[in-house]
Amino acid sequence: MSQDPIQHNICHYDGHRYDDLDHRKYATDADVVIVGAGTAGGIIAYELARSGLKVVVIEAGPFWNPQSDFASDELAMATLGWQDTRLTDGQNPLRMGHNNSGRGIGGGSAHWTGVCLRFHESDFEMRSRDGIGEDWPISYADLEPYYRYIEKQIGVSGPKHFPWGSFQGPYPMPERDPISANSEVFRIGCERLGLKSVVTPLAINSAPFDGRPPCTNRGFCNQGCMPNAKYSGLVHHVPKAIEAGAEFLTDCMVTQIELDEKGRAKSVIFNYKGVEYRQRGRVIVLASFVVETPRLLLASAQNGHPDGLCNSSGTVGRYIMPHSSHDVYGRFEHEIRLYKGTPVMATTQEFYETRHDRGFLRGYTLHAHGSRPVAMAKGLAVQAGVWGRRLRDAMVHYNHYGRITLVGEVLPDAANRVTLSDERDEYGLPVPKVTFSYGDNDRKLIDHAVHMMKEILTAAGGTPEFVVPDTAHLSGGARMGDDPETSVVNHHCQTHDIPNLFICSAAVFVTSGGGNPTHTVMALAARTADTIQDLLKRQDL
Amino acid sequence: MERIKSYYQDFNVFANEDHWDDHTREIVRKRLEPTGSLQKLTGEQVDMLRNIASLLLDDGRSSLLDWVIKHIDNKLQSDIGEAQRKVGVPPFATLLKGGLYALNELAQGENGSPFTALTPEQQTSLLVALENNTVTLTAEDGQPIPPKDFFNNLLSEVVSAHYSHPQVWSEIGYAGPAYPRGYVRLEVGLSDPWEARMSKEGPER
Repeated sequence: MSQDPIQHNICHYDGHRYDDLDHRKYATDADVVIVGAGTAGGIIAYELARSGLKVVVIEAGPFWNPQSDFASDELAMATLGWQDTRLTDGQNPLRMGHNNSGRGIGGGSAHWTGVCLRFHESDFEMRSRDGIGEDWPISYADLEPYYRYIEKQIGVSGPKHFPWGSFQGPYPMPERDPISANSEVFRIGCERLGLKSVVTPLAINSAPFDGRPPCTNRGFCNQGCMPNAKYSGLVHHVPKAIEAGAEFLTDCMVTQIELDEKGRAKSVIFNYKGVEYRQRGRVIVLASFVVETPRLLLASAQNGHPDGLCNSSGTVGRYIMPHSSHDVYGRFEHEIRLYKGTPVMATTQEFYETRHDRGFLRGYTLHAHGSRPVAMAKGLAVQAGVWGRRLRDAMVHYNHYGRITLVGEVLPDAANRVTLSDERDEYGLPVPKVTFSYGDNDRKLIDHAVHMMKEILTAAGGTPEFVVPDTAHLSGGARMGDDPETSVVNHHCQTHDIPNLFICSAAVFVTSGGGNPTHTVMALAARTADTIQDLLKRQDL
Repeated sequence: MERIKSYYQDFNVFANEDHWDDHTREIVRKRLEPTGSLQKLTGEQVDMLRNIASLLLDDGRSSLLDWVIKHIDNKLQSDIGEAQRKVGVPPFATLLKGGLYALNELAQGENGSPFTALTPEQQTSLLVALENNTVTLTAEDGQPIPPKDFFNNLLSEVVSAHYSHPQVWSEIGYAGPAYPRGYVRLEVGLSDPWEARMSKEGPER
């Protein structure tokens, strides 16, 4: 075996080194088949494989090697996003690809910023508390043990005291020190306004952890971490899952879910280099995020399921939610150098909870957020209309800008959805169409946040200059609920319609929350793995 | 190459390339290679694109535009998806080629000369018209080209390429690739010895 636990291709198992897909580890007798090797898929695979189950994970993208596939370059590393064309529609067509999705082992966790925030209790109780949207069928208390478990398992670094929400700290690993100049000025601005701020809880090592080194502040989290200091499924759960016996098939695109005569999920069809293969499993888990999950369910329409699988409620693909994620740039007399250090190292959640004196419901998180030249210049040009001389003048002062970014709650709306278009892709699958428009509450929240970001920059001594409208993340499309008439999966992430078919990713989110979603995806994944293990043990599947 | 006046007159990001990993060095070095022959763009399209890019960037330096053109040609050769495409907008290649054709027609119609023969002011006003969606564009085959989407897609590629060029990195004081050594001094007022140092003279405006 090679020393490097991270290898290319499908042929990386001791004793199972084949470069074709007719020789597979569990071709006919897998217990669990997981579609997608992203954040959720890696965790479920690890937990189930080490409990002794035969696990196969099928991933559309490649098996990255950080040392040879990643680079310190923005343009080249756009490949870490899901770049297949999606059609976009609505009043506010979304930016897809690298903005909100991943492709290849690790999925989005290969290029996330590592921000590791728990949702608050209120995030699960929107309808009860605010009279809008929907409640989750689970509460914060249901996820709490899993948040704690994941934080310990991946060594989340963070403050001793966290002043918002139910979890007050401490985090398992010490907070990051030093923090970047951009994070320092953010904290100074907050302090002068009387706003609490913290060093951000991050799934990035502040000290050696689990054989991986501490962060070197190279700053390219979004281009793929090369020293392996940042948590990703690629460097943590997937190698451990492989060691525990799981098989990962990469560059394999799942195109169909097949049912048996009793209407239970039997197998998936996947395409590898133009040839179709079948993978059977007792349980099938879709960990394929917000666009590809509804797409696969809708494209798997068959006898008895004319509107797609798991769609008796008609909600498959509906209620998708990005976060509003406007950036505000402020110019400073002194240098900030936005390229240096982990991009997000300071945060405030002072505006997270609903207040009735702001004119909108729910709330948001603000982060100090670094940027490299391409992201900054492209954002200014394309999203803020700054080009020609104004762009050049701004970019000559690149090192003098600080930046704050919003992660704002977007309310669920059935009209925001994933559907199938008439265009076909290389696999013959319908190209998905993603429709999104902000609602009134969303716009009011954004206005409030943009105002606050300007205030913080000003208080820190900067001059706010540019507002770049943007979104980040994506959730919903196969939401959880107790009522099979209005949701796709139950409180166990098990589909209402097909008991041995599970969905586990941000697709099951009922509300978007006012903070970064990945920690909640991880906690849900660990919880779903427990459920599947229990049900299989009790022969209940 | 002629250098724009910036805070960082003495900084050359390439002076650090021995400290970069091989993969990054290979990627960045390629941007400095001569353009060679283009696979997808015609000479006429290239001339128009150079004019447009120099206005979008406010930077007409030839070797930087060479890389922008090469990047667009590479993109036209690639079968990787576009991540997103708005409903009603044709695929990138059709949008780009159809848009260039239609823009040239527009220049002929409004000013009586091909786009490349117009003054920069005339060219800019046509670009602003695209940005504001105040003109109608039709490709050679009669297909409608949405002006603002043509403009934004082109702007996105031109700007991405330009700010990926190491010469531009040097000028704006972006120290860039730092693997394996990383950055040690992060806080306000601190920088590592090999990073760009502000010179006394500031930018030209």
